[in-house]
Amino acid sequence: MLGRRGALRFLALPPYLWLAVFFVLPVLLIVAISFRPEAGPIDFGDPWTFSLAQYQRIWETPAYLRRLGMSVGMALAIAASATLLAYPIAYFLAFRARERAVFFLILLLIPFAVSYLLRVMAWRLMLGGEGAINSIFQWLGITSAPIDLLLYSPVAVVITLIYVWIPFAALPIYAALQRIERGHLEAAADLGAGPWSRFWRVTVPLSLPGAIAAFFMVFIPTVGEYVTPSLVGGTEGYMYGNIIQDFFTRAASWATGSALSVIMLLLTLVLVAVALRLIDVRRLAS
Amino acid sequence: MPARMNPARPLLAMLAGGVLLLSSCAGAEPNELLVLEWAGYDEERWWPDFKTANPDTAVDFEFGTNDADILAKMGAGSEADVFHFYTGYEQLYVDEELVREIDTSKLTNWDAVPADMQALGQIDGKQYFIPWDWGFSSILYNTDEVPEVTSWDALLNEDYAGHIAMWDDGPAAVTVSAYINGWDETAITDEQLAQIEEDWIAQKPLNIHYWDSEYDNLCPEVISGDIWIAYAWPGCYATALFEGAPVAYANPVEGRNSWVGLYGISTDTDSYELALQFLDAKLAELTCGTLVTDYYYGCANEEVMAAVDDPVLIEAFALNDPSVLETTNFTPPVTAEDRDAWTAMWTRVKAE
Amino acid sequence: MSRRSAIGVGRTRVPLGTVYVLMLLFLYFPIALLFIFSVNTNTVLTFPLRGFTLEWYREGFGDSALLEAARNSVLVGVGSASIATALGLGVSISVTRFRFRGRVGLLALSGLPLIVPFVVLGVSLFLLFNLADLPRSLFAIAAGHTVIALPFATLILLARMGGLDPALEDAAMDLGATYPVTLRRVVLPLMGPTLLSAWLTCFIVSFDEVAIALFLAGGDPTFPVFLYGQLRFAQRLPVLIAMAVMLTVLTVTLTLIAFRLGRRKP
Repeated sequence: MLGRRGALRFLALPPYLWLAVFFVLPVLLIVAISFRPEAGPIDFGDPWTFSLAQYQRIWETPAYLRRLGMSVGMALAIAASATLLAYPIAYFLAFRARERAVFFLILLLIPFAVSYLLRVMAWRLMLGGEGAINSIFQWLGITSAPIDLLLYSPVAVVITLIYVWIPFAALPIYAALQRIERGHLEAAADLGAGPWSRFWRVTVPLSLPGAIAAFFMVFIPTVGEYVTPSLVGGTEGYMYGNIIQDFFTRAASWATGSALSVIMLLLTLVLVAVALRLIDVRRLAS
Repeated sequence: MPARMNPARPLLAMLAGGVLLLSSCAGAEPNELLVLEWAGYDEERWWPDFKTANPDTAVDFEFGTNDADILAKMGAGSEADVFHFYTGYEQLYVDEELVREIDTSKLTNWDAVPADMQALGQIDGKQYFIPWDWGFSSILYNTDEVPEVTSWDALLNEDYAGHIAMWDDGPAAVTVSAYINGWDETAITDEQLAQIEEDWIAQKPLNIHYWDSEYDNLCPEVISGDIWIAYAWPGCYATALFEGAPVAYANPVEGRNSWVGLYGISTDTDSYELALQFLDAKLAELTCGTLVTDYYYGCANEEVMAAVDDPVLIEAFALNDPSVLETTNFTPPVTAEDRDAWTAMWTRVKAE
Repeated sequence: MSRRSAIGVGRTRVPLGTVYVLMLLFLYFPIALLFIFSVNTNTVLTFPLRGFTLEWYREGFGDSALLEAARNSVLVGVGSASIATALGLGVSISVTRFRFRGRVGLLALSGLPLIVPFVVLGVSLFLLFNLADLPRSLFAIAAGHTVIALPFATLILLARMGGLDPALEDAAMDLGATYPVTLRRVVLPLMGPTLLSAWLTCFIVSFDEVAIALFLAGGDPTFPVFLYGQLRFAQRLPVLIAMAVMLTVLTVTLTLIAFRLGRRKP
């Protein structure tokens, strides 16, 4: 009969195998393909030759890396904004709602249950020249002509994605705030700390892991976003993820797309590593 | 009582389901047809004649989003029996041995296809493709805002900054530049391509955005007046006219472009006869006619075209003006190197 | 008692309730717009509205391609959620109850998909299936979704496993139960509600996912992939919204039911 140790195989091996086949292997594959010289789709029957041609192509086109920088910048702005905006909501749920927290949480999450694509389309309707926002602004007399720049711009991408991510960002912050023991706050109050002081010196530091988790949960997917930019980004809001998408569909140059993916992957790894370092330093500091 | 959750059973069920799913993708059996199509053309109104003749055949669709995508899918071993793409890519399918010769003697509607259209589907004298849908590409412009457009360079005119919409397609951009500069599309040199890239990078800010989907991000904005000048097909022209928008479809001095949609049969197909019937049925009166009346595109059956009597459609297809066709430039086949170079160029333009 | 309530949770100068309400308004405004669109007679959203109609809902239910896409999304969601939850359970139990050489590695690996952008995962799986000469399919999409859902499942289950007293398992084994039996009759029931919430989270992650699915969809699209293709036709938008509204209602109802089930105490 299966012993305790024997059962370990059934518990630990399947996840390893699944991740090895459907995660590690594809990533290794994309790295390998980035070193193939072909433009166009790859015929795996062709012999494998090693070449830095793709990376050279990328190096010779500074526009690609510029778009990467822009995408990272936009993702930072979106993640920071979503986290900051979600924080008071999470705080409300954790400290004010109490018994009704679940109800308010569900209310918050219902928009998140509406299809992502349609939420983006809704913003396209709202931001357009004849859309709701321009209509309201003109009706209120704030503007006399439609603001053309609202739609088909990086601004549209940023607004839309912040909107999409706020409910999701609230979750880890809420979880972290919930875990704060009242005892800490009571002790601080006993020591004479006022409400703001308690907030900044007890609540914020203790909820920081949740906020950081929220930030990264929004940041990482957003760096590689291509769906929203393709719908509301226009020519200026063309993001790095769109370049990769184009190289795998329209322009069909898989090796170039792979090289671009590898670069983005490396960048994400570096950013996460740096962030983890910063967090550890903070922990040590406090 | 707490829910007793044993994941084993649902897990096994799902694995079984997954295996079933995998096995179901085994490819078309004799009375099934898989068609690699563009979204929308899967609806039954685009193949009613086939449906009537073969009510028991299961027709399934796989979708491609643009020509490069469809070529890539066929090249990657798609199980599709029939595929649909547009002029320019013919040579690529033949070179990669993705397409099978068509026995036109088995097509009952073949004689209704004009000879020059039949020729478009031939490579090295062999009939590999049948033409189906066709139309022009030209400049659609708002007559309230723009005086008569006489040349393709209207797309690069700074006077209309913020109200231009170019199609998101590299080969199209090269074609437009070739027309404007009088260059040979089939012999674009590296210097010419570099110039083309510069021109379109300069043009980019003039666009409200590139459009990639006629009825999604082109036509509604033409009708609403946000877009004044656009690279467009007659479908949007006719739609805009029907909506009463003040639009005109240019006859540039360089000539309009014309594209033709082609159907091919995959070399790997098990259902050659069925595929032939499908293609034949595409050229039949009802199916062909729907293309004209519903999408305002031309169809390769000249009897159907001759029967068009709606003045708006006659206007859109220039059926009453043979001189238009005389100056029209048909898209020539493109080599793989050119296609790769042009699409890479366009991606650089977009990234710039 | 009153002092307790004043600490950290009492009245401060910040009107949090108002902030919450404002945020809800902001979140719901576009949704409301969509909903109005789905019951408006016009296919273009212009004000003033023309008329009320349920025809889009009727049309949606009659559209077999649309319903098939929704069904496909359910299939993929159920499949990937089940596998991800099962794998996550394996990770959480083995990591909290055993010492073995690959322990930290397994934990790290389970979390790694979180730092890979979806587009990279999508194209890399696309290449993998190409290399293996396998067609793109719902299975391919499910495989990808399992990978991205696994970190969430693991996190949720890990937290619960950590809070479970191993003494219970030891007691069971002392009484003669084998380890598999212990797992089945002691650990799993205690994990029950958490398993459900992990499963639901994975399902929700998969159901609406579009970035990966677009690269891996073959002949059978999931609902988001289908939607993306249908956006080409502006006049179809009301029908699509109508169906999405129905799906949202379904998702929310399921979540509420599961939540209720999960909250029942043993």
